[in-house]
Amino acid sequence: MERFLEVLDSASGPLWHGFLLTVGISGAAVVLGTILGLVIGLMLTYGGRIAALPFRGFVDIVRGTPVLVLILASYYMPAGLGISPGPIEAGVLALTIFCASHIGETLRGALNAIPAGQTDAARAIGLTFPQMLAYVLVPQALRQIAPNFVNTAVEIVKASSLLSAIGVGELLLTTQEVIGRTFMTMEFYALVGALYLVINLTISAGGGWVERRFQNQ
Amino acid sequence: MKMQIGALVAGAVVVTSMATGGAAAEDRLQTILDRGYIIVGTGSTNPPWHFKDDQGNLVGYDVDMGHILAKAIFDDPEKVEYVTQSSDSRIPNVLTDKVDVTCQFMTVTGGRAQQVNFTIPYYREGVGVLMMKDGDYKSYDDLVAAGDGITVSVLQNVYAEDMVHQALPDAKVDQYDSVDLMYQALNSGRADAAATDMSSAKWFVAQNPDRYVEGGYGWNPQTYSCAVKKGDPDFLHFVDIAFREAMTGVDFPAYSASFEKWFGEKPPAPQVGFPGELR
Repeated sequence: MERFLEVLDSASGPLWHGFLLTVGISGAAVVLGTILGLVIGLMLTYGGRIAALPFRGFVDIVRGTPVLVLILASYYMPAGLGISPGPIEAGVLALTIFCASHIGETLRGALNAIPAGQTDAARAIGLTFPQMLAYVLVPQALRQIAPNFVNTAVEIVKASSLLSAIGVGELLLTTQEVIGRTFMTMEFYALVGALYLVINLTISAGGGWVERRFQNQ
Repeated sequence: MKMQIGALVAGAVVVTSMATGGAAAEDRLQTILDRGYIIVGTGSTNPPWHFKDDQGNLVGYDVDMGHILAKAIFDDPEKVEYVTQSSDSRIPNVLTDKVDVTCQFMTVTGGRAQQVNFTIPYYREGVGVLMMKDGDYKSYDDLVAAGDGITVSVLQNVYAEDMVHQALPDAKVDQYDSVDLMYQALNSGRADAAATDMSSAKWFVAQNPDRYVEGGYGWNPQTYSCAVKKGDPDFLHFVDIAFREAMTGVDFPAYSASFEKWFGEKPPAPQVGFPGELR
């Protein structure tokens, strides 16, 4: 235990950096993925059959692919187009794509669940389509997708550990680097597990708070 | 898991290379000169090869090979950028130009030599034995003398048992699925010795001189080389020359210091007169 604290003290700088990188990459992927996902969800629901087709294909392909494959593809495949993203860029790209497909599909489901009568009613009082979305449909859909959104964010944080495979110095790889030097395997894997738990419990708690606020409206 | 990642990477690279078509003739050295630094792919979790020290700096013998190349190209050993990569990424990252050269304790095999160009060797790895300093056995000879009375722990592998039996034909072999469990078996007395990479065993002993001893015998040799992309023989030649002159010529002092730092012994010094490597 004494040795563990000693090593932990010497490794705290890199571990903190890895922790921040995990939070930063996950946060960026969730924000970008949510924006993209909202567009996808709207296109899937209201885009019409032809316009929705590429979005349908995107969602089905991404959701049917393991995250690790998305990560490796994001890192290696752009080389074929003559661009070479760094590990962090490729990682954010892969997680954003993953997040967007899930948010898009969830939003589509939530929008479809709103009774058609509301759309008719909104039209009847003369709302334009953007107004209808802004005042009637999206607020209800967002309330529906809140639990799923929290779930997706937690998935993204966990999936970010896979970025160690392409050499992103996030929390897991940083931990493995400490273990490589000290051979204190059990201690540091336990620590990294606890740190991921802290991140995800924080997200869940934040999500729960937002859900309760929505419910009270 | 390692195998799966390897297969996935291989798949991704096949798709990528199909997209790029044939490799165009290129002048990698000029690209590096224009860029102002060389990009070296290596790992970050395996001392003494490539690992993060207490301060979080990437250090090790593989890392020093990168510094040697930077010194040769720019006359400044610091003009190098390291890309951290997993072992599975060693070849893919060379093929997709993520790195100019990979130096990551890479065993030379015929299969790999069909995919990348290997440089001249910079180390020959072998398997060695690690024992407790206060244990019953303190050298390889002790283990041989003990015959079938000893248990050796080893990292799980299809050929692990045969590998141990090459040097200790009668020993009982216990396989473990991670390095720390292998060491744990030794610590707890479940094994009398642990068979592992010679360089790792020596490093481990150097870090814990009061607890462990190394057996003093290595077997199952394998050659380590850096790897570059095929299609640019000039660059391969340049890297070879840089390494050769570090190991036998003007850059020997820096190379020798590195070798001694990571492996605990001095490499043979080049002799004045007839070039020894041609003997």
